[in-house]
Amino acid sequence: MLFIAIFAIALSSSSVATRGDQTVWSGIVIASNSGPPEPTPTELTPLEGTLRQLFGYTRLHLIGEARKTLKSGQEDWLATTKYFALRVDARGQKDGAYVLNLKLLQENKVLLETDAQLSKASPLVIRGPQIGDGQLVIVLMVQ
Amino acid sequence: MKTFEEKWTAWIDDQLTGRELDEFEASLPDKAAAQAEKQSAKQLGSLLREQMAPVLNNAEFFSHQLRERLDREDRRSTARPVSTGWWTIRRLLWSGATALAIFVICAVVVIHNKPSPDQSEYLTQILNYRVDPAVSPNATITMFEKKDEHVTVLWVDGLQSLPPEYAAK
Repeated sequence: MLFIAIFAIALSSSSVATRGDQTVWSGIVIASNSGPPEPTPTELTPLEGTLRQLFGYTRLHLIGEARKTLKSGQEDWLATTKYFALRVDARGQKDGAYVLNLKLLQENKVLLETDAQLSKASPLVIRGPQIGDGQLVIVLMVQ
Repeated sequence: MKTFEEKWTAWIDDQLTGRELDEFEASLPDKAAAQAEKQSAKQLGSLLREQMAPVLNNAEFFSHQLRERLDREDRRSTARPVSTGWWTIRRLLWSGATALAIFVICAVVVIHNKPSPDQSEYLTQILNYRVDPAVSPNATITMFEKKDEHVTVLWVDGLQSLPPEYAAK
């Protein structure tokens, strides 16, 4: 009886510990070399070097963001700016990653639609349209 | 052949009989003094027996105690191989069950805390992508992974360029 009780407690506590909800952060970024210098947004700090290397821009300016804690894995949310919106529709988990449907909207037009399997330790970066002398960049990561 | 001392002791103890008794008594130089000495020796013997009796009783008592103690030691020594000391069968069973339970708990905790390879090692995957050809007729999409940084990139070219005001929040 003691053995069964301890085993049950261990199983329940471990399942609680591993069931922790995770947050997905999604950001709409303008990468450019113009404008006054400003600190890189905290969320982008781990990716700063990669983004600079990828796009060749030194300034990362966050114009829209959304953060969603996934509980059922079926949530949806929206990150918006004045002219753009990123609609994210979570469609459960597969192989430990979140399956997401992403739509990048410019006002009412769908510029891009993609389905991605977002892993915990692997951010997703999407290159969007050129805006002025900068570049629209979409970033999604599990926090 | 008995010596005089042996015959004397036997005479004192009334062990001499018949001809041997007659010959010994005849050999005594002073029979009256010998008889007095015999009586004195007998009285001394009686006295000693009376006085030694309690001592003998004590000896029996100690002897009895010793025998009992030896018996107890024997019983203890014969019972010892059967006893297992602190590790009784019941305690052994409980100890085994407890050790097994601790092992299972540790195993479960370790297994559940081990990072899942599909979460920590796999890169984000692009399952599919599409652009509306009516909106972006010249768009091309490339997907690649920067494995060193664990970053997956979806690179879209050919989207319509927009004026700077579209960078507004």
